[in-house]
Parts: sequence; structure tokens; C-alpha cells
Amino acid sequence: MSLTSLDPRVTRLNLPEEMPTIEPKPELDQFETYEAFHQKKEGAAHTYVGPVHAPNEDVAFLFAKEQYSRRFPCVGLWIVRTENVMVTPYSGDGENVYDMMRVEEPAERSAQAEAYEIFHLKKRGKAHTHAGRVMATSYQEALQEARTQFGDKGPIVNVWVVKSKHVLQSAEEDKDMWTTIPEKKYREAIAYKVMDKITKYKEEHKTTAP
Amino acid sequence: MYGGGNVFEATKFDDLQTEDPVKLAEFEARIARGEKIEPNDWMPQLYRKQLIRMIEQHAHSEIIGALPEGTWITRAPGFRRKMAQMAKVQDEVGHAQLLYSAAETLGKTREQMLTDLINGKSKYSNVFNYPAFTWADSNIISWLIDAGAIVNQMANAKGSYGPYSRALERICAEEAFHLKYGHDAVVHMATGTPKQREMIQAALNRWWPPIMTFFGPSDKMSTHTETLMRWKVKMASNDECRQQFLDMYVPKIWELGLTVPDPKLKKNMETGQWEYTEPDWDEFKRVINGDGPCNAERLAVRRTAEERGAWVRRALLNPKAKYVRPLA
Repeated sequence: MSLTSLDPRVTRLNLPEEMPTIEPKPELDQFETYEAFHQKKEGAAHTYVGPVHAPNEDVAFLFAKEQYSRRFPCVGLWIVRTENVMVTPYSGDGENVYDMMRVEEPAERSAQAEAYEIFHLKKRGKAHTHAGRVMATSYQEALQEARTQFGDKGPIVNVWVVKSKHVLQSAEEDKDMWTTIPEKKYREAIAYKVMDKITKYKEEHKTTAP
Repeated sequence: MYGGGNVFEATKFDDLQTEDPVKLAEFEARIARGEKIEPNDWMPQLYRKQLIRMIEQHAHSEIIGALPEGTWITRAPGFRRKMAQMAKVQDEVGHAQLLYSAAETLGKTREQMLTDLINGKSKYSNVFNYPAFTWADSNIISWLIDAGAIVNQMANAKGSYGPYSRALERICAEEAFHLKYGHDAVVHMATGTPKQREMIQAALNRWWPPIMTFFGPSDKMSTHTETLMRWKVKMASNDECRQQFLDMYVPKIWELGLTVPDPKLKKNMETGQWEYTEPDWDEFKRVINGDGPCNAERLAVRRTAEERGAWVRRALLNPKAKYVRPLA
């Protein structure tokens, strides 16, 4: 006997009614992870929205666009492989993590200074926001530079440092990909107005309310 | 959409005696100050285990919950409803992605979670083990199951774990559309022809018993539950959620002239609490443990999708890829 469903398409799959347990999924069956940052409007800083699983950077970009820009305004998207993000320790709310870090000798140093992107978390539970770009020869130097340039603006709970070359950025000339066609109102709460129907119903059936 | 009613079972990590007392005190002080916990922080084993279980169940409920509604996309009456139903189902699957990632930050991989779902080891909301016979059933799910989910999610969004709160903030924003969409669909049927009213009432009658179990059985108040409430893992008791749901939605059902199939259902004006027939918790346990009308189908469909996509995932896998937990 195969499985029968109310949905004929499921019935047509001819699935057995009982299925043996599966072997644990192999490692990386769901791919590696990437972190996504979106830009809500022109001129706004890129803000962390969350991770995606993907086989490569380009697919990560497509998934993140679908996952994080489909329902909310977005004019730009950055993607970074999780592995490429250097994360500092976390401080408590109201503190500045730059004041708590020891200066460490970099394990690796590039011959020439290169660009690094700096992201700050201002409060636990909120999202990391792009603070700016610095030039440095190592992650540690980038952090020192970031502290000098943007480290004194109130509490900073945590810092992410990413080499600019590791950031896949949506291109200026592709801006039209963010335009949503206006006739998608059906997926907005505001498009559903039921009060008129309810009021009319109640007027016609005054005696039925318990 | 969300399966509430997490049953907080004791785990072998229940014993806080094995935790470092200094770190535990710091952790508790942080939560007491209203600060969120982030993935790299020290946390007790009990906190980690309970959150993984909760967020994972929530994620599974989103993808499994999309199945009964998903089958109605092609049969939804009219183009606009098909589009809306499709947008809602896509939202739900997106919620699962967000939640799996939040759970992953605690150390359980997505591969492990999907394996446990398919093998029946991890649970999802029990209501999705019931069938959606008609379009009206799909409407009742969109309205009332999502309404229950919102009660739960709004409470959990105030919880102490940063990644879960961040995910829930996005999720709640999208759920606002689901709720209005579901309500609109039910109002349309209830204020329509006699046949439409009959259909929506029949669907409500079928779904009421599962809805009443949605938030789970009354919590056994133990030191365990108290600990989880103090740590802001569990934000409200199952009964509190159920009462809030009844307060918000029974009047909206009644104003449409629909009836709730429970003769005992009424609000006690003295206590301010709703009284109702105790749900059949034996059936609830039987169904959640696999013996419901749709358990086999839900898992078989999920499993088939996983198996049929496996070769694509293998073909795309970069041999140099290395797994790193998502950051936040």
C-alpha cells in the first residue's frame, strides 16, 4: 500500500506508508554559511540581517536577496563568507569593547596596506552596522585604526572586521534589481480591510450576537 | 506560523550544580539587567539545550506548516488568492531558514536538525498532523493558527537569546500580513452565501480541538520551569498564552455569528479567565508521537524533497568548503 493523501499530487508520488530511518545527513549537505548585510535606503549604512547557507558567493547573494529583501525595502546587499569575519569578544551593554581589548601581535601581515570593513554592534540583541572602512596590513591593525577613527562614539559591544576584498557588494549599475512592482499589495497587511463586511453583517444580523 | 506548546521536559543537564557558580552568577545578572545573550557568551548547558529544542521545533513547524497550506495554492479560488497564498507559504519557508540559523548559533547543525525531523526525533507543531479538507480549512489555519503563533512569538521575541529575538522581529513583521489575510478570507466566507458559511463553520469545528491544544498542556510548575522563566527562555505559561488567544479571538469569531464547538466555553467575569472543556491530551500525546492522520504524509513529503534534491546539493558542493557556525 502506498501513501494516499487529500492532495492527488502527493498520492501520485507512490510513497511507501512506512519509511525506514535515514542515515544522518553528511557534513555540508546544507553547504557553508554566509553573512548578509542590507542597505535600507540610499545613503544608509549597511546593517546585518542574518546568515544564509549556499554553495558559493553568487548563490549566497541570490538566497540573501530572496530571504532578506523580498519583503522589506532594500537598495543594496553585501555578502561575506562567515569564515572571513574576524569577531572580537563581546562586552556588556553600555561598555566599549575597544577599551577592553589587548593589543595582540598579528599572526599574518600583508606587505601593503589593504582595505578592511568595520561593523559595530551598539547593543546586545540589535544588529551589527557598518561603521566605515580603514586601511591596514592586518586584522589587528585594522581594529586599532577603527578604534582611532570610529571607536569613541558611545557604547560598542562587539566589532566585526572583514577584508573589503571578501565582501561581495551589489553593483551600482544593477540598482534596478531592487525595484518591486507596485501590484504586490496582496502581501501587505494594509491591503486587507474587513471592517466594512463585518459591520454590514452585524447590522443585518443584529439578534444573532451572543 | 509557529508551533507553540513546547513541553519543557527535564534534561540530564538539569542539574545546575555542575555549572561554574561564578559564570552562572554573571550570566544570570546579565539577564536580570535586561541584556541579551549572544552566541559567544558562556551559558549553562540547560539554557543551550532548551533553546536549541525550542528554536528547532519552531523551525520545523514553519516548514511542515507550509505543507497543508501549500497544497491549496493551485486550488485557491481566484488569481489574487493564489498569489497571496503563495506569498504566505514562501514567508513561512523563509521563517524556517531564519530559525534554523538561530538554532545553529547554539551548536546544532542544520544537517542534524533536518535528520532529526525526518526520523521523527524532533517534533513540530502537532496541529499540522491534521488535514486541511477544504479551502475553508486553509483559511482557518491562516487566521487562527497564525493568530496563536503570533501570541507565542510576540512573547518569545522578548526572550533573552539575541539571535532568536532578531529572527522573531523579522518574522512578526511578516506575520501581520498572514493574520489579516487569514481574517479577510474567513470574513469573506462567513459573510457570503449559506454554503460558504456552512463550509467555514465546518472547518472551524474540525480545527477547534487542535487549536485548543496549540499552546500545549498546562505547565507543571517545577523549579525547572521557574529557572527557564528567570532566564527568559520561557516567557509565558502555556495557559497564559491560551487565555490571551481566547481573549483576542473568540469575540472575533462570535461577531461573525459563527459558533465555537465547545458548550462550556465562556469567560468567567469574576476571575476574568476563560472556562472551556479540557482538551483531549491523550489524543494530543498519541498524535504528537506519530499516530495522527497526517504525520506519515508530512514527513514523507519533506523527506522526498530532501532526497530528490540531494544530487543537486552534492553537485554544487565546493570541495574546499568548510563549515563555520553562523555568527549571530
